[in-house]
Amino acid sequence: MAAKKRSIWVFGDYRNYFQNRVTLQLISRANDLARAIGAEVCVTVFGHGVDEWVWEYSCHGAHKIYVCDHESLKFYSNDVYIALMEKLVREHEPEILLIGATAFGREFAPRLAKRLGTGLTADCIGLDIGEDGLLVQTAPAFGGNMLTKIVTPVKRPQMATVRPGTFQEIPHDNDAKAEVVHVPLPDDLPKDRITLISSVRQPARGQKLEDAAVVVCGGRGMGSRKKFRNLYELARILGGEVGATRPVVYSKWADEEALVGQADKHIKPKVLISFGISGAIQHTAGIKDAGFIIAVNKNPNAVMMKMADVAIVADASQVCTALIKELKKRIRS
Amino acid sequence: MVFNACMKHKLVRKSVREFAEAELGPIAHEIDREARFPAEVVQKMRGLNFFGLQVPKRYGGAEADSISYAITIEEISRVSGAMGLCVTVHNSVGIYPILKYGTEEQKERFVPKLASGEHIGAFCITEANAGSDASGVETSAVADRDGYVINGTKIFVTNGGVCTTPLIFAITDPDKPGRSASVFIVEKGTPGFTVGEIEDLCGMRANPVSSLFFEDCRVPKENLLGKIGDGLKIGLNALDTGRIGIGAQAVGIAQAAYEASVKYSKERQQFKKPISSFQSVQNTLADMATEIDAARLLVYRACDAKDGGKEFGKEAAMAKLYASTVASRVTGNAVQIHGGYGYSREYDVERFFRDAKVTEIYEGTSEIQRMVIARSILSEPI
Amino acid sequence: MVKMIVCMKQVPMVSELPWDRKTGLLRREAADGMMNPACKSALEAALRIKEEHGGHITAITMGPPMAREILHEALAMGADRCLMVSDHIMAGADTMATSFTLARAIETYCSDFDLILCGCHTSDSETAQVGPQLAEELDIPSIAMVDDLRLAGRRLRIERVSDHFLETLEMDLPGLVTVTTAHFTPRYIPMAGLQDAFQEPNILTAGAHDLGIEEGQSGIKGSPTQILEVFSSTAGKQNVVMTGAPKKIVEDLFALYEDSIGSVIRKDLKAVK
Repeated sequence: MAAKKRSIWVFGDYRNYFQNRVTLQLISRANDLARAIGAEVCVTVFGHGVDEWVWEYSCHGAHKIYVCDHESLKFYSNDVYIALMEKLVREHEPEILLIGATAFGREFAPRLAKRLGTGLTADCIGLDIGEDGLLVQTAPAFGGNMLTKIVTPVKRPQMATVRPGTFQEIPHDNDAKAEVVHVPLPDDLPKDRITLISSVRQPARGQKLEDAAVVVCGGRGMGSRKKFRNLYELARILGGEVGATRPVVYSKWADEEALVGQADKHIKPKVLISFGISGAIQHTAGIKDAGFIIAVNKNPNAVMMKMADVAIVADASQVCTALIKELKKRIRS
Repeated sequence: MVFNACMKHKLVRKSVREFAEAELGPIAHEIDREARFPAEVVQKMRGLNFFGLQVPKRYGGAEADSISYAITIEEISRVSGAMGLCVTVHNSVGIYPILKYGTEEQKERFVPKLASGEHIGAFCITEANAGSDASGVETSAVADRDGYVINGTKIFVTNGGVCTTPLIFAITDPDKPGRSASVFIVEKGTPGFTVGEIEDLCGMRANPVSSLFFEDCRVPKENLLGKIGDGLKIGLNALDTGRIGIGAQAVGIAQAAYEASVKYSKERQQFKKPISSFQSVQNTLADMATEIDAARLLVYRACDAKDGGKEFGKEAAMAKLYASTVASRVTGNAVQIHGGYGYSREYDVERFFRDAKVTEIYEGTSEIQRMVIARSILSEPI
Repeated sequence: MVKMIVCMKQVPMVSELPWDRKTGLLRREAADGMMNPACKSALEAALRIKEEHGGHITAITMGPPMAREILHEALAMGADRCLMVSDHIMAGADTMATSFTLARAIETYCSDFDLILCGCHTSDSETAQVGPQLAEELDIPSIAMVDDLRLAGRRLRIERVSDHFLETLEMDLPGLVTVTTAHFTPRYIPMAGLQDAFQEPNILTAGAHDLGIEEGQSGIKGSPTQILEVFSSTAGKQNVVMTGAPKKIVEDLFALYEDSIGSVIRKDLKAVK
């Protein structure tokens, strides 16, 4: 009998598709990993009326798609999807199974991993194949101050959830064709123990801060409410948004809306300028996905300064004022 | 006494600190600036037994040990000296005398409402002519058919503006030679009892310190605490207990000033280096840390003696004397380390400096504390 | 009468983590511990249910001996009894091993529970996995990231926002929920509670032997995932340090980065000559 082809699986999380592109991003990374270990990329799609997503995944790099399309699968369900996925995984034995770290994924993945008796790493920001062919999962810890490299040496599949925005999707290719395998609905699927009474799509609240490419963040080091307010001017000039730390919001220098941190808003700007922030875990957990970081602080040893690409040792408010002045000069021209 | 904090005391410190930083932290500066008593925070403190810390359970208190009490006062004072003052005076000299010298009827009548914080306590000895010298008290309490009529003015009463059941130290039998003093519980609303203007003080400004006026104020005989002539005994005992609280308060204020100094010295750069790298600053910080630790241990030693049922007057006086001296020294040095910024009202350091000074004055000046200690050591057998 | 279990973890109480640059390991012992904030919210949620419906709360933690402190804290807040699960073979557990161990403890000491409440995630590991995995191990339904919950008889009604959907869900007990800090602000602890929590604390201790757990099932040996290395996230940063007068700093900043910043904000930032 021919040996089963090795496979890397991606769970098709199509809810909120168009804004939510994590599945496409995972398919892309799975392709990189698959090349390294000689495997094919398979995607699972469970639901009702899912042809559109099957087509999208096909055009974005999937080699094979397992589809289970049935009325009873219309709404996401842990009990049902886990049972279904368990059947498929035990039958096809993928090497790796990737799930997007959406709210659903972050609940579905751990229960599934426990059901399968395998290891799971949450919120990965990196996936690579190590020298011994193992999936090396890079995940943050301690509010992003630390990074850990984790492997699942023995148990299979090696599972990981990945934050949206971590990887780049493969561009849409109309000519790409994946093999579609229709999976009939098993007749022994459990009943959902949780009843969905209602599910109402929330209007996309201004995610301005979370989506901003440029964020100017301020902390107590700005000195006073009056000086803090200058950050809004700086943000306006840069076309960005203002974020704040909890102490600043508490002192009413900024609104609750601006709160960036572990339990609050997570931002992922391309450029983050941090003024007068020491770098407490509660705050840094919200900025760990930032790109280029400039930090301004009187204390050269502050954690925020160590995390930055450019650490400016000076009075935060003075630098803010100087920046505004210089930007106005240059942009006017 | 064990020198490492036990788990309970660690947890007490964490819990009170969390409350103080969250609820008093954001307003500490403002209430000092505006001399405003934060009734809204007092309301929250009530549910946490802050007003009945050592009151027995059956009267609605927490029945806490003295070190837990000292830690609570220290942690509140670390954020707001004025509120730490309110809580310690209420607990130590406002309720404790009633518990120690009151009849069961008096305890049932007054303590539960005080322990819950619904009523705020105070103790009034000081008058225009009676500060360190209690015998200079002129407020009189003359007996008549079924009570006593009180006349006089008490000044500098901590919690004066909000107290509901102050204890009044008055001279009974003022015309007889060998005047004796007694203590009376006077309830707010009693005709003849009025509260004066809130004092405009250098520090502790969020505490409503005021004068209390008594003009033919009649109190029933059921409101006499202890017996006629017990005044001095009750007063001195109340002060012993109060001194532990003031010691804890001084430690808290010093701690706040010290933490601010360490942080500032790491950030402030002069001559291209943080000032914490200069030996003179390091020496000052080292002395601060050592003295605050010593003061704290003296306070806990007094707590230990009190809870052990021993005499603790000397220990309490030593704790209060040393802690208040340290608080003044540490806060003065803190302002110095902060330089010009330390002198600005925009920073907290000058508030710590102003608050610290009075700890050397009230509940027995440092001079009186030395008298108490000297008297004690000179009467000890060699 | 609702029988509740609250699972909690002690996490380092630091805003900056002390770590050993040489070994790359976390110096947990250097930091004081505290109850993980989300776990405290879970306890708060349980306390509110107890106040409204009557009930009994057992707080459980798996950790080293110093974690006992959070159980005293739980008692002080209003928990009825506590279970300290501790054994050196449990050290280094990943979420699989942790959920396995907690499940055995629950089955041994409080198997007749109605509702288990957990914090949504911990401030140190942030995986948010233990709650769901514990539910799976006990074969009970679970709902994560709950913002609000109401109990009616043996049915729990839950509200949460999940992936932009405002969901109302119902679950029959026994079940498990994980709670966010957003809606269950924990109460402050009264002094009376703190004193009582140390008087005659109702804390049971259980080791691996008491739970029938063998060496390969718990701790590092019972964990399918393994940590290869831990390193500071700042390792990849260039970390250019600039000092001096603000005006000069800003000039230098533009000299180095006017193009890269300019391309992000889509403006030409070159100086006018």
